[in-house]
Amino acid sequence: MSLVDIKDLRISFGQVPAVDGVSLAIDHGDRFGLIGESGSGKSLTALALAGLLPEGARVDGQILFDGQPLPANEAALARLRGRRIGMVFQEPMTALNPLMRVGDQIEESVALTRGDASAGAIVQLLQEVGLDPSHGRRYPHQLSGGQRQRVMIAIALAGEPDLMIADEPTSALDVITQRTVIDLIDTVCARRGMTLLFISHDIKVVAALCDHIAVMQQGTIVEKGTTEAVLNSPRDGYTRALLAASKIPRRRAAVITAGASVLDVENLSRVYRHGMWGRSVKLRAVDDVSFSLSKGECVALVGPSGCGKTTLARMLVGLDAPSSGTVTLDGEPVSPAKMRPITRAKMSLVFQDPFSSFDPRMTVERSVAEPLHLLRALSATEKAARVREAVEAVGLDVAVLERYPHEFSGGQRQRLAIARALVTRPSLVVLDEPVSALDVSIRGEVLALLAGLQEEYHLTYLLISHDLDLVAAVADRAMVMEAGRIVESGRPDDLFARPRHPMTRALADARLPNPA
Amino acid sequence: MIPLLRGHPRLLVGAGISLLLALAGLVSLVWTPYPIEQVVVAERFLGSGPQHWLGTDHLGRDMLSLIMSGTLTSFLVAGLAAGIGIGIGVPMGLAAALWGGWVEWLVLRVSDLTFAFPAVIVAILIATLVGPGESNAIFAIGIFNIPVFARVARGGALTLVGQDYVAAARLAGRNRIAIAWLHLLPNIGSLIIVQGTIQLSLGILAEAGLSYIGLGTQPPATSLGLMLRDAQSLFLIHPWLSIVPGLAIVVIVIALNMAGDGLRDALDPRLRRQELGHVAG
Repeated sequence: MSLVDIKDLRISFGQVPAVDGVSLAIDHGDRFGLIGESGSGKSLTALALAGLLPEGARVDGQILFDGQPLPANEAALARLRGRRIGMVFQEPMTALNPLMRVGDQIEESVALTRGDASAGAIVQLLQEVGLDPSHGRRYPHQLSGGQRQRVMIAIALAGEPDLMIADEPTSALDVITQRTVIDLIDTVCARRGMTLLFISHDIKVVAALCDHIAVMQQGTIVEKGTTEAVLNSPRDGYTRALLAASKIPRRRAAVITAGASVLDVENLSRVYRHGMWGRSVKLRAVDDVSFSLSKGECVALVGPSGCGKTTLARMLVGLDAPSSGTVTLDGEPVSPAKMRPITRAKMSLVFQDPFSSFDPRMTVERSVAEPLHLLRALSATEKAARVREAVEAVGLDVAVLERYPHEFSGGQRQRLAIARALVTRPSLVVLDEPVSALDVSIRGEVLALLAGLQEEYHLTYLLISHDLDLVAAVADRAMVMEAGRIVESGRPDDLFARPRHPMTRALADARLPNPA
Repeated sequence: MIPLLRGHPRLLVGAGISLLLALAGLVSLVWTPYPIEQVVVAERFLGSGPQHWLGTDHLGRDMLSLIMSGTLTSFLVAGLAAGIGIGIGVPMGLAAALWGGWVEWLVLRVSDLTFAFPAVIVAILIATLVGPGESNAIFAIGIFNIPVFARVARGGALTLVGQDYVAAARLAGRNRIAIAWLHLLPNIGSLIIVQGTIQLSLGILAEAGLSYIGLGTQPPATSLGLMLRDAQSLFLIHPWLSIVPGLAIVVIVIALNMAGDGLRDALDPRLRRQELGHVAG
């Protein structure tokens, strides 16, 4: 008999079906991966299994847990969740109580599920998830993202559950931490013989961890089977498309004009001071960084979270002032205070999150046209022509310009963000994780678009990413950053095949094998 | 606007009653059943009847006319006071959020200081300096409103300045004032409207209070608080004279509070985003 048996599950909100007839069975000790893009209903299926659906959801169908239907009584359901089902969510910061020491939070769940919470049990749990007993005395904000996720796993393990549901537990983490958390889930499941339901949009993560896979699309399961079968001989068209999209086609190497440097960075540093008066502590977010970018190049900046990538990018485009050092673009100095509009127009930034990079109260036409404010010489008709040209260049119809951001999907918004970045015809575009917030199937389109635009407009790209596969596929050169310094740079293939610096090696080792 | 009202019955009822009363007040500008200055001692203390729907007061003035005119005064004073609060408080709050540093410190300390003085104290201060009157009530309540709006605007703007679209606007060379005007103000508009409705109801209460203690509206003009003041010595003999303006104040304040709560439910972006968050995934 299966541990989890879901038959013809249907979940709808009002008239809109979100999950439309899902049936799946998970055997004891199985590791089951549920793959799907945003809105496919994968999280709702898991929430239904734990009895945690939001209010207003209509549920039909049958969910059997260990042969029994889920109890209708909320108290009995809560007991079932605590003792037999453990859950780990995507964002550990919001899942943990910020005002409670993490050790106490683990103790609370141990006491609730087992009745006795001895200090030994908590230390044991902390050690099992790879934390030091002293970490138990800290508050969530004093831990790193990976450590917080380990605490979440410890809490989920407190009731010694039969089933652990992990909903995108590594999506908010950087590559190195992602790998350690995946390895942790792997060992914990093996040691305890625990059943795992792992939900992710990332085929590579699921392939590394699970032995059964179901692929969801628009509320239905389009394919399921063993990991090997699904990845090696996918039958469904959507599965094939997902697999194809997860492999990034390699871009042709750029034709680089030697000696023609676009951006020069010299001894750039950014120092933050913490604390007050005499006891201030200096934090060097960016520490004495120098490099230059040639025209037409695509250079990647990689490193773990908190290494200073974003601070560096913000200084390069003149959003933040450096503490020392200089940035020059085409021979003109870059600084937020005194920068000529014409210099500003020569560079732009594409943000990571396409949902917060557009003002919800502005039509996209006004948003896309906003950088043209820098080119005062242009007339109104010329500006309108520029906006149309940019929107057409990213493959959208000019009719969309009158709409508001909420009417677009994530991929379309990222296209519009690229259009806004190109509208002033810049020479340098900084791409801050341009595809990490997008679904895999759209990722390919956006990358192809960026590559095409680079060729057409002779753009220079600085790509900030933690995805080494992406970097290897599209970048001409990669720079590895650690604690504010660039520790190694070179052609991505050489760099990751023969890493010399420990950080490069850690990044290369954390790379998950490509499925199929 | 119509779909906004549907599904929010509190907003519908609250806004409906508030608008109706405000309209009655506006009508008093051009027409009242009887002129409010008309003193007819022979017809004083009349109960409600076909001639005088709400009766007459101790000077024989028509109560309905007085209530209409008093409502106008209440709305006018509270509305202008809210206008002062928005006009000064919102720019202060936006400046605090955008500039940070010592600007923010200054705005917050000025807010604290103003919060420490209730409208009554300010009104007494103004009354001692330039004498009591309607415009003094407006200033006193308006000054009291400034820190309220400054805090709401700063709070709303602080959540927005971290958004990428504000960074995008800075990249596009917009200065802080343009960012505040183009991006922040439209996005905190709903917060300001909701707070404005609440301050309007508080302002009406404050105006009634100030007029009641003689620091607000002066006769022959009238306001709801002034009517209460006139009626208080007669309460045991003619309770009707106090009940009518008192009820009018209660109805206005409740209606405005309902409208404010309803607007918050209908417009608050945070609540809306939470709803979306549940469905996502």
